[in-house]
Amino acid sequence: MRVRAESDDPVGDRGTGRRIVGHLVLALTSLACLFPIYWLYATSLRAPGDVYSLSPVPWPLSLEHYREAIAKTDMVRMLVNTAVIAVLTALGQLLTGLLAAYAFAAWRFRFERLLHLAFVGTWLVPFQVTMLPNYVLLSELGLLNTLAGVIVPSLVSALGVLMLRQHLMSFPKELLEAARMDGRGSWNILWTVVVPTLRPVLAALGILLVITAWNEYFWPAMVMQRSNGVVQLGLRSFMGTEGNDWGPLMAASGMTCLPVFALYLFLQRHIVNAFVRSGLK
Amino acid sequence: MARPRTAAAVPAARPARWRRVCRAAPPYLYLAPALTMLVVWTYQPLAQTVELSFHSWNLLPTSPMREVGTANYERLLTTPDMGASVWRTVLVILGLLPFTVVVPVVVALLSRRVKGRAGAAYRAMVFAPMLVAPVAGAAVWQWLLDPGSGAVNSVLGTRINWLHESGPAQLAIIVITGWHIVGFAVLVVSAGLTGINPEYAAAAQVDGASRWQILRWITLPMLSPTVMFLVLMTVLLSAQWTFPLIDTLTQGGPAESTTTVYYLLWDYGFHSYDAGLGAAAGVLFFLGFVLVAAVLVWLSDRLSHSDD
Repeated sequence: MRVRAESDDPVGDRGTGRRIVGHLVLALTSLACLFPIYWLYATSLRAPGDVYSLSPVPWPLSLEHYREAIAKTDMVRMLVNTAVIAVLTALGQLLTGLLAAYAFAAWRFRFERLLHLAFVGTWLVPFQVTMLPNYVLLSELGLLNTLAGVIVPSLVSALGVLMLRQHLMSFPKELLEAARMDGRGSWNILWTVVVPTLRPVLAALGILLVITAWNEYFWPAMVMQRSNGVVQLGLRSFMGTEGNDWGPLMAASGMTCLPVFALYLFLQRHIVNAFVRSGLK
Repeated sequence: MARPRTAAAVPAARPARWRRVCRAAPPYLYLAPALTMLVVWTYQPLAQTVELSFHSWNLLPTSPMREVGTANYERLLTTPDMGASVWRTVLVILGLLPFTVVVPVVVALLSRRVKGRAGAAYRAMVFAPMLVAPVAGAAVWQWLLDPGSGAVNSVLGTRINWLHESGPAQLAIIVITGWHIVGFAVLVVSAGLTGINPEYAAAAQVDGASRWQILRWITLPMLSPTVMFLVLMTVLLSAQWTFPLIDTLTQGGPAESTTTVYYLLWDYGFHSYDAGLGAAAGVLFFLGFVLVAAVLVWLSDRLSHSDD
């Protein structure tokens, strides 16, 4: 029996002044966050002679820098490789994370605290600490220089498990109890009761994991032997060789970020809608 | 939270022990995939690293590992690099907290006041830097901070060579890292806010509580697990977030001023080819992190009971 609140904002006292202050603070924060990104694309779109110009609007526009960057690197193949890695990694992490978080939320069991600490504990292990043994293991499995070698070691994300656990802990227990009373199995409850309510969280987390995997740098660098198999490595070698040739460098950086921006803009609407809807329930 | 009562009728013919096992098994089965990955890729390698720290090895498969006892640890504790890099890491963490906790909480609370589309749009904009790949971010900031023709010096009217002077370089690394992650923290806080049951606030309002009282006594306390989560994340992940930037922008310089413990570790393993020393350093950092995290987890457990 839950009261349907109109919104999380209590009724009354809708000061316009407060709202204006809110807008102002948010606008300034957004501006500070966006400027470097804007500058990256502005520089990349300037005509070759105008790179050092500080005019806020790049004019005349030119794609010359992009042409140059593509001519010098294997951009398309790198983007495809990186996309495959990112999507498969994120899906694996969502699935393992969901199952583990569900176990923590729906049962009390022996060693619960210890196992929870085992997940938190992965954060205590800097990547560099386990790098060598992992590298040896990968080479024994014959996964070096393969995309699978990048994906398999990262099929569980402690962040994913802990974030889902946080959300599931506040999941109304009476719903789980009621479903159990109906004699439904735990697997059925997970997919018919828990997952539908978690959808906004899963979507947000999924996007986060895709982006993390896309932007991952050191693990691919090790597995792919510094071949330019993924876009991060290609960009790094470009940075090294092209030194201060800012135009093409900004174009290559821009192309590296573009797919992620596109994904985010496309799914952002869905996520926001989901968040808003869940706020109204 | 009580143990689930299995509603399925179990035939009495089955031995009681089998029944007990069946009832206890589900959570472990659900945890199995994730735990297997943890053991294979994190904990077993960690054990191997501990073993490696008592050996001397130059990373070549052909050369043997020599047993050297605690010599690696002794060398590590007598080098001055170690203490200095730990101190720098602490500075970085403190410098990042405003970006990961203070600003996100303020922004998330304010964007809750800003209704509908506008609030979502602001959140999307603040989140944007998180989408920028570290290497791309490093590239654009290198361009922005270029001493001769970068936008930062032009706007400020300064001639600072940001990445080649100790103080400015440290500041640059902190600000660039903060710029990258502030949006993620905002998203986490916003998610935490949506998770708070609005009925508490509604009930308090019926009792005549003011906005400020609701914020102070209901919203913020219920947000405390989220804040603790963010602090924990900052402490444990700051080294990893700063690492790609340090590696691409300053390589630990100028004059070692941006050499954090994490970078030092990498340096031992892959520049000096001293696997044993790198492993010993790794083991020490791991122990330090365990200590810090134990304190924070204990704190967040104390705090998270506020919702029960």
